[in-house]
Parts: sequence; C-alpha cells; structure tokens
Amino acid sequence: MSIRDLFQLALGRLGTGKLRTALTMLGVIIGVASVVALVAVGQGATSGISNRLAGLGTNLLTVNPGATFTGFTRGAAGSSTTLTLADATALQSLTGVQAVAPQLSTSKLVVAGSLNTTTTVVGTTPGYLTALAYTMWQGSFLTNASVDSNLRVAVLGATTADDLGLGASAIGTDIEIAGLPFRVVGIMQAKGGTGFASPDDEVLVPVSTASALLVGGTNVRSIGVSVVSADQMNTVTAEITATLRQRHGLTGTATSDFSITNQDQLLATVGSVSTLLSVLLAGIASISLIVGGIGIMNIMLVSVRERTREIGIRKAIGARGRDILAQFLIEALALSLAGGLVGIVIGLAISLVIGVIAGWGFIFSPLTVVAAVGFSLIVGIVFGVWPASQAARLDPVVALRYE
Amino acid sequence: MSVATAPNETIIALEGVSRTYTSGRLSVPALVAVNLRINRGEFVAIIGPSGSGKSTMMNILGCLDRPTEGRYILDGTPVDTLNDDGLAALRSRSIGFVFQSYNLLPRTSALDNVATPLMYQGIPRRERHARAQAVLERLGLGDRLHHEPTELSGGQQQRVGIARALVTEPAILLADEPTGNLDSHSGAEVIELFHDLHASGRTIILITHDPEVAAVAERQIHIRDGQVAA
Repeated sequence: MSIRDLFQLALGRLGTGKLRTALTMLGVIIGVASVVALVAVGQGATSGISNRLAGLGTNLLTVNPGATFTGFTRGAAGSSTTLTLADATALQSLTGVQAVAPQLSTSKLVVAGSLNTTTTVVGTTPGYLTALAYTMWQGSFLTNASVDSNLRVAVLGATTADDLGLGASAIGTDIEIAGLPFRVVGIMQAKGGTGFASPDDEVLVPVSTASALLVGGTNVRSIGVSVVSADQMNTVTAEITATLRQRHGLTGTATSDFSITNQDQLLATVGSVSTLLSVLLAGIASISLIVGGIGIMNIMLVSVRERTREIGIRKAIGARGRDILAQFLIEALALSLAGGLVGIVIGLAISLVIGVIAGWGFIFSPLTVVAAVGFSLIVGIVFGVWPASQAARLDPVVALRYE
Repeated sequence: MSVATAPNETIIALEGVSRTYTSGRLSVPALVAVNLRINRGEFVAIIGPSGSGKSTMMNILGCLDRPTEGRYILDGTPVDTLNDDGLAALRSRSIGFVFQSYNLLPRTSALDNVATPLMYQGIPRRERHARAQAVLERLGLGDRLHHEPTELSGGQQQRVGIARALVTEPAILLADEPTGNLDSHSGAEVIELFHDLHASGRTIILITHDPEVAAVAERQIHIRDGQVAA
C-alpha cells in the first residue's frame, strides 16, 4: 500500500463526514489559534513596551526623591521632598551629563477659547527636550531666559494641542492654565507613544513659573538626566549619587534620600517579565490543545467502533494489521494537522487585529508557526495511536459479524 | 480468464482439524477432527443447518481463523503456522470472499471496491483500476463503475462483490450464502455466474443451509454437529 493510497483513503473518509470532521477539528483549531495568538500578543506587548520605554529617552537616568520615614514606617518611594531645583542645577555640571530636566508636575485645567482639557502641567527646564528625546513641531521650546525670568510661556504636547484645537497659528496666542494666562511658544512633534499615559498629552512651562504659580515650593518630583553615551551610565550614576549625598549632607552608612533608575535596567526587567508572561500564556493555551487532542481520540474511537464491519471486510480482502493502523493514524493526523493549519490562520488573524488595535502592529513569528504545526502533529499521533491500534487488532471473524 | 487445471491436484487439505471456543471454563467444540480434501477446479457445496459448525468451517477455510488442532494446507501453504500478517497475505493471494450481505465498502464506488484488494497487494493505481474495470465489465457492470453500493440493486451489489473476489485471481472462491439476500431471479443469475466460473476452471466453495442452492454444486459436503457427515 503506497503512502498516496493511505492519504487518499484517510482524506476521502474525512470528506464524507464534513460536519463531524469540522467539529472534531474545532478543538485543535481553538488550541492552536490561542497558542499562536497569545504568543504573538506576548511578543507584541514586549516590543510595544520596549519601544515606549526607549521613546522616553535613550541613556536616561531618573532621579526620584527617597521615601520618608515616620518613626520606623517607611513611606512610598518619592513621598519625601528632598530633591530641589538647586540639586538639578548641580547635576548639570557633572562630566558625561548631556542634559538635566527637573520635573515639577501637577494636573491642571487648561483652557483655549471654548475648549478645555485637564492635563499634566510640567514645570521644567530647556534640558527636557534633549533628555526625554522630544522634537519641536512649531515654534520653539522653553529657553533659559524664560526660566530665569519666570515667564508665563507654555509648550504644548501634540495631543494636548489637538484637544485644544490649536494648530500652527496658535503660536503667540494665549491659553489659560489654572485660570492664569500663558503664551503658547511652541508645539512639540508627536512621539506616537502607546497606551493611556500618552507622552504627548502634557503642557510644559518654565520650572520657576510652575513653582511660583502652580505648585509652590522649590522641590521637584523627579530629575531626568540624559547621559552622553551608554557606557557612561554607571560612572554618571555614581557621580550623581556622590554629588547628591554631599549636597544633602549624608555621610558614611546613612541611607540615600533619593533613588536613581536606569532606563536600560527597566527595559531588561520589563523584557524578562513579559517573556515570562508569554510563556505562561502559551502554556495555558496549550491545555486547550490537549483537550482538542482528546476530542480527536474520542471521535477516532467512535469511528473505529462504527466502522468495525468495514475493518473486518478490509481484513478479509487482504489488509494487514499495519494497513489498518496506518489508515486510522493518518486519518487522526490529517484531522489534527488540518485543524492546526486553520488554527494558525485564525491565530495570526487574531494577533493582527489585536496588534493593530494595541498599536504594536503585526508580529509574525515563523518559529511559533512551526511549533504549532509540530504540536498538532504530535497531538494527532499521541491521540490517534490508541484508536488506530484498537482497529488494527480487531479479529476479522468478530469484526465481520459486527452489526 | 481460464485457470490451468491439473486434474485431482489437492488445493485444500484439512487433517484432523478441530476448533474449540473457550470462554472462561466453558469450552465449546465447533469443529471436531474434520478431514477434508478439495481438488483444484472443483465446485463444492458445504451444507448444514445453523449451529452445525459451517460458519466456523468457512472462517477456517477462509484463513480468518486458525484451527485449535490439526493441519490445514491451502494451495501448498500450511495455514496453522502463520501469524496474523501471514494469514492476511494468504487471504490476499489465495482467497476471494463472497458474502451473504455483499459487504461492500460503504461510500465507495464499485470500481474502487473491486480495486481495493489489489491496493493491499501493493499494485499501482492505474493497473488496479484497469483490472477492476475489466472484471466488472466481464460481469456486465461496465455501466455501473462509478456507482456507490447504495445506488445498486442487490443483484448488482452481489456481482460487484463477486468481481472483488475474482480480481486477485484467487486459488479459491469462498461464497457464504451468496444468494441468501437476493430475490429468486437475482439468485439464479448469481448461481449461473458460478457455473460459468466453474466451467472456466475456478475452484468454488459454496457454504449454505439451503439444499436447493447446494444442489447446483458438483459435490455436497454435509456438516452436522461439527463433523463431516458421510
């Protein structure tokens, strides 16, 4: 019996019971589709988060105030108010530092004509543009002069400008922030970040103005420091630590009242967490693949029972046990493989839709497809072997008399 | 198609063949020490009432089952020593079955039904279809090649069954109540066909409970209580 004969037998048989074939395949289809989709979603999320973090600025260190202690109780990180504008200025002069951006942010109502939005208003310095990797679209960014003179000027993020209906012609006009008039000097290019906390939804004002009119005090919420090159990240971190400890009068083993976050470390952590998540998701999805395999086994057992007489006839006219085994095994394989292929198509379609909605695009992983095909073949063999060997072992005398 | 006939050449030899069914502690003898010789080219009817052991006889002769005791030599091959695959190969080569209920493969065309035994012999598709078609045409079914069993009358189905039994050029044709499900007209046609096949030299063994059907054979072997009656 040639391989081609075997395939023709098995496929011909599947073609005669299309509804049953489709329903049997459904289990494998769902299993493979969910594995493919979840792996793609996992990979998409990973790359989406990575891109977004990279978009925050390259070689970026973020200095946050440390936690406060009330007695022996540690407060949340950033709850103390130890960082000042003067600290930010001091960091400016360290070697290897490209730009420093102190940030003093608050949420305020911003009004332009008849439109308004509540958004994040960040008091900062000209270093912000470089440190956080923004580019200007219209007008100019904040200047040192505007910071020195507490000018009421504002630079709008792309989304905020959109929300307020402001275009290129808005440069030079006034908006109101918390009821105070500010002159629009520039609108930034959209970063096109993803998710809810868009980096384009913000209004930037001079840090001095913010502390005088909007927030109060000279404490800053964080200081962004961009480093000239990646290999200087560690030395600059050490320099910042030393400088700030000295400025804050900390000596010996005293705990630092600030913390420094390295963008690259964050990226690596996020990467490993989301890889773990992908594996977890794929693991859960593969359970449905096993359930699908059991569905195939069930149908194959029923099929062997139903076709007992046919098996008897085939044996009587010369089929050996292994001919029958091969026929049923290939039938199970064809079921699982066809289910696997349909599942891959559906899985890729789902991941395309999710990718487009979530904004990380379509990520095609050939390895996932190969693995899915391999997995469905294994499911077919594992769950097809037993029914097929049942069929092969049937006694022709008994099988021929079976009604 | 004629088969070279050497007169009085033994094709089937049963020597002291017994078949006992055991289930638990109960053992039921279905055949007891049967001796039987059938020559090539003979047309033999094995006749007996139900429960006489003729089905067991048919299973043994057809190599579907092995005797529990005794020797069975078919066309020179000792059957009792073969394993399951050996039996399958021997059936494929030497035996053509014709069943009472036709036993055609469902949802399979007449042509494919007849070609299936050749498939298990490993004969290429083109050749087996040509041979199957030739046999079907000889049995007057040339216009029914692509009909499925449900589209054929009982008589036509039985002729497809006979074509399937003949396509491998087997040493013996083993027919189990071949007219049992047919009306008298179709039954007569099938018997007529057996006569023609016998005339062309084919060895035919007809198993039946009906003395009238058995009468068409040139020799009748009566079975009663698992033994060959004189």
